[in-house]
Amino acid sequence: MRKSLRVYLPFASNELKRQLAYKGAFYLFILVNMFGAFINYYLWMAIYGSSDQAILGGLTRNEMIVYVFMSYVTSSVVSISIASTVSDDVVKGTVAMNLIKPIDYRLSLISQAVGNMIYRFLVPAVFIWTGVEIYKARALGLPIVSIWNILLYLLSCIMSFLIYVLFDFCFGMIAFFTTYIFGMQMIKNALLGFLTGQLIPISFFPEVMQRVFDFLPFSSMVYTPVMIYLGKYSGEKLGFMLCRQAVWIILLYGAGSLIWKKVTKKLVVLGG
Amino acid sequence: MHTCKRYLRLYRVLVTQFLKTIMQSKVDFLMGLFGFFFSQIIGIAFLYLVFQKIPSLQGWTLDQLIFIYGFAQIPRGIDHLFTDNIWMVAWRIVLNGDFDRYMLRPMNIFFQVIAEKLQPDALGELLVGTILVVRSLMKGVVVIDGQHIALFFVSIFAGALIYTSIKLFFAALAFWLKISGPFLQVAYQMSDFAKYPTEIYAKGVRFLITWVIPFAFVAYLPASFFLKEGTSAWMIGIECVISILFWCIAYAVFDRGTHAYESAGN
Repeated sequence: MRKSLRVYLPFASNELKRQLAYKGAFYLFILVNMFGAFINYYLWMAIYGSSDQAILGGLTRNEMIVYVFMSYVTSSVVSISIASTVSDDVVKGTVAMNLIKPIDYRLSLISQAVGNMIYRFLVPAVFIWTGVEIYKARALGLPIVSIWNILLYLLSCIMSFLIYVLFDFCFGMIAFFTTYIFGMQMIKNALLGFLTGQLIPISFFPEVMQRVFDFLPFSSMVYTPVMIYLGKYSGEKLGFMLCRQAVWIILLYGAGSLIWKKVTKKLVVLGG
Repeated sequence: MHTCKRYLRLYRVLVTQFLKTIMQSKVDFLMGLFGFFFSQIIGIAFLYLVFQKIPSLQGWTLDQLIFIYGFAQIPRGIDHLFTDNIWMVAWRIVLNGDFDRYMLRPMNIFFQVIAEKLQPDALGELLVGTILVVRSLMKGVVVIDGQHIALFFVSIFAGALIYTSIKLFFAALAFWLKISGPFLQVAYQMSDFAKYPTEIYAKGVRFLITWVIPFAFVAYLPASFFLKEGTSAWMIGIECVISILFWCIAYAVFDRGTHAYESAGN
């Protein structure tokens, strides 16, 4: 354990340093991403304004405001894509180097992603999060989130992160079959935005689809932690949701190992 | 007349060369197209889900919003198809000195920039836009008569010109800043606001997307002309004036930029 920490920790800290070096580009990136959250905010305000019901999809107007921004915060911290790194490594052939090094390729990628996650948590997420809480208390008159909910939320977020990264690793394996992963990435991002609850709470989907989503890992990535944050789950349901996240981590870890083994067996790298 | 012919011929030659490279990688082409197609469809699915809960959004029906959404895709797609290389100016062509080669040839520089690349991914957007507009025609949500049909095409081209102008303006900043990609990205992304009726936004945002970075004139404002009978055709007139105005500004800045251009050197 100590040894592997010594091996993989530099991956995380280097990534953190690398990100800190390109602050300017990152702030603009955040700004662009925030557009999406604000469009969503205005859209939801108009939707609640046009509805004669106070509660839509199980959420009040004020809860929806918190949902919009917290799902943004959650997905920006959680969705650290490693698929493009995998695809770069495969296309350039550097993946071969990783095969002969005495380190686990996937673990090194995950460590990098951890560095990235910490950075995103520190730079935009915490500030937006604080902003949401201040707005909630001042303008909406809602009580501030409890310490207990914050802890549960953070625990759920860490699991979400692992689910996302492990899923993305499996996804990145596509690079072994096609070099143009850009189109696939776009489809993935669009689909994930929709199915994880980032764009619209899962409770807005028809009953049948919600049942189907119960058997997919996506809602565990954003929807579950945000609902925990909002205090929508309690007791048994809460325990079940957290267990479900844990189960997905195990399943995706297994799937990733299996695909990796299959794929590297017939890997052909040109040049060297 | 003679120069015009020459440019057309050159464009054909350059585009044929480019098409050959696409044919080499058909899978990539199809996936890019599908990617853009799919990410726009998600937006429609979102509206559809929301409208299960509400009858109308500030007076707009689902069918009308779908038309606005689809209509917005067409000028976007046209611009995306023909002028995608402007992004490269913003990100790297100026930075690494590749812009030299445009300066050396006895041809219009802007023409050379856009002639270098066609972006087939844009067909995904055009496809979504066309499908949604045709759907609206069949559902009878839009006004159909001679005037509206003619202005439809005028509006699409004016809209595409607005897109190109905004892109060109921010890309031209690269002549002074070396990289202007992030700024272009921010400006371009503002077009997402124009997919929905601008009435839903706060005053400041509405002002910004109507008059500063006029994406509202690409989609929502002209679309409402086609949706509501009795809306003045002046809306399209204003769109045209704005598109020409912004084009002149953008082109002037670009032209100044080419004079200020310093190569990377070595």
